[in-house]
Amino acid sequence: MRSPLAASFRPIVESGVAVSIGIVAGGLLMLAFGYNPIRAYVALFTGAFGSVAGILESLAFATPLMASAVTFAVGVRASLFNIGAEGQAYVGAIGAIIVGGTVLFPPGVHPVAATIFAMCLGAAWALPAAILKVWRGVHEVVSTIMLNWIAFWLATYLIRTYLGEPGRAERAIPALPTARYPVIGETLTAIIFVTVCFCLLVTILLWRTGIGFELRLVGDNPEAAKYAGASGRRAILVSFLVGGLAAGLAGATQILGRPPSWTLYATLGNVLNLGFDGIAVALIGRNHPIGGIFAAIFYGGLLHGGRFMEFQVGVASELVEAINGIIVIALAIPEIVPILRRMWVRL
Amino acid sequence: MQGIVIIVLVLIAAAAVAGYYFIAAPPPCPSGSKCIAIVTDVNGRGDLAFNDMAFAGADAAAKDFGVKVVELISRKDSDYVPNLETAAKDPNIILVVAVGFLLADALNATAHKYPDKNFMIIDYPNLNFGPNVMGIVYEEHKGSAIVGAIAALAAAHYGYARIGAVLGMEIPLLYKFEIGYKWGADWALKWYQAKFSKTAPVIGDTPINERVLSTYTGSFSDIVKGYEAAKPMYERGALAVYNVAGQCGLGVAQAVKEIAEAKGLTMGPPFWIGVDADQDWYVPGFTLVSAMKRVDKGVYLAAQLAVQGTFRQVVAETGGTVVLGMGTTVSGAPAEGISVSTLDDLDLFIQMGVKAKELTGKDVLPMSADEIKSKVAAMRNALPSWIWDAAKELEEGIKNGQIEVPMVMTEEDLAKWRAIVGTG
Repeated sequence: MRSPLAASFRPIVESGVAVSIGIVAGGLLMLAFGYNPIRAYVALFTGAFGSVAGILESLAFATPLMASAVTFAVGVRASLFNIGAEGQAYVGAIGAIIVGGTVLFPPGVHPVAATIFAMCLGAAWALPAAILKVWRGVHEVVSTIMLNWIAFWLATYLIRTYLGEPGRAERAIPALPTARYPVIGETLTAIIFVTVCFCLLVTILLWRTGIGFELRLVGDNPEAAKYAGASGRRAILVSFLVGGLAAGLAGATQILGRPPSWTLYATLGNVLNLGFDGIAVALIGRNHPIGGIFAAIFYGGLLHGGRFMEFQVGVASELVEAINGIIVIALAIPEIVPILRRMWVRL
Repeated sequence: MQGIVIIVLVLIAAAAVAGYYFIAAPPPCPSGSKCIAIVTDVNGRGDLAFNDMAFAGADAAAKDFGVKVVELISRKDSDYVPNLETAAKDPNIILVVAVGFLLADALNATAHKYPDKNFMIIDYPNLNFGPNVMGIVYEEHKGSAIVGAIAALAAAHYGYARIGAVLGMEIPLLYKFEIGYKWGADWALKWYQAKFSKTAPVIGDTPINERVLSTYTGSFSDIVKGYEAAKPMYERGALAVYNVAGQCGLGVAQAVKEIAEAKGLTMGPPFWIGVDADQDWYVPGFTLVSAMKRVDKGVYLAAQLAVQGTFRQVVAETGGTVVLGMGTTVSGAPAEGISVSTLDDLDLFIQMGVKAKELTGKDVLPMSADEIKSKVAAMRNALPSWIWDAAKELEEGIKNGQIEVPMVMTEEDLAKWRAIVGTG
């Protein structure tokens, strides 16, 4: 167990144990309510990954979560508990509608411009929390929760006024056809490649650059980092901004890369919870952007596959959510324990 | 570590054995059966109106035609497409029902992808969705006219100066309600004049632009906004306020309840008016009447046509959009979907409240079913019979085509009709 190889396998073993515990607990819950857990799980997993259509749809559900998981993961790496992805994703979606739906660009350029604008807006929304943290010491949990709500009402207001489509009160104006990413199949579009590339770039930033080293150093041991001359302020600022870019991208995926509506619903129902689900995905992915990609695919499979437990086995939809929740919590435990321990020490 | 792994493996094995021997209920749609799939919008079940009525219609069809009902609840807006597709792919499903206009984009995409499957959408016309899609729309303006008439005559009876309406988002669908309601009030005051050879007391002397107050709250969900819009209407002497704002409109009932509690009333006035479902059970004794839009009948009709195999034929005949209202027909047979609540309707909707309690655990019924019914009956009996006669007369006139209620769907028409029946 002491060899480096064994050490690198350890997280995988831990996650494997965690997923088993979650599945067994969910199964016991189903037994308690009189459903056949084996059939339900078969329906869940074959529904999510048992066919090409199922895989494509699961990936479509996974795409925004890959991005929103980065927000939380980069935060944790810098010792932040950044839960602002939710609001930054709303703002990103609004940004994608502004450029994607109201500005004319040639095809090819349009999706790129809209995506970049959405990401920048997401980063801009993260900036107040970063500034408050760095210069005033305001805890990021407080500031990001507040910013989430401001973003919610701002987005709701914009959909009902300037970005609303006359006669279609239920949604905003859609992204123009030139701004849409090509559809691969089902509701999956090429924006998944953009998202994966973004996750890889963040990985390179964290582990192959000086600023990334500084960021992780500040996260691991702030005192030592200060002693070594690393700038805690810069690291925190970078962490927030990268997180904002990621969350903005998460919001944009639902506008520029998700048929059939290509826009935001007035309830924000198609971007709601992307940020909070991203926290779970980040924890499952051990706060690593690449781990997050796989965790998001797993989570997307639960989101898509859950409907088959309901449809094929008759498991009540509320119970489906509860089972998915149990599996997710079990998976997040290996990562959340050290975070809580660290917070306890800080207190 | 290894110890944990072993424990977990044992647990998995135990659960597997338990699951294998556990005889679970058969799947909702076993192969060889005929099924109807209901795909809800994000409001899901337990809304006591739209989605619950769709299920009530499906359950009735299941009983009468021996089909099975499968439900797919949408938790996010991004669930619409995969839910519709999941249902469309199942060979046993003969009809996929999309409950509500929120699913329109998703339905359009899915229906084109599965041209052999029958689809139905509530509250949305078939706009080139294909020959396999039936859009069902309702004549809400007619129901609104009748409740407007009842409210105006009740105001005359009790000596109130105004009536009101709280509406949701300012969308064309709601113009139908607003003008229908105002038009009905206008019709009723003229009826009163003709019947009793005098102007209706108090409300008849109110200037036409003040007579029927109306406010768009911009929301279908914010109960506080509904409450805030209704409160000043009652303060200005409105006898009854019509809820045209879904959940938001329940704030109207809240305002009435508050007045009732402050004054120690057991029965209106003041009143409020229900919408879509029969909401007479909600604050019983203070709900004057409800303008019902029978989503259940739409689902039942589509299921019936699908079972009979005449679904496509009716889609072709009607151009894809079936209108359910008062005196409407489908293929020569009467098919209605708009009516004003009666005492008999209460049973179905009280049942819905009981079911909602089972589903959500929340006790929605304010009192026992018998108490509700006796309160509603007492309130109705307190109103003079000529009010109900007028309502009957208007209803029959609409049904036989002698009375035409304006159907307003555009802003130009809205401005034109507001000039006639009041800006309020």
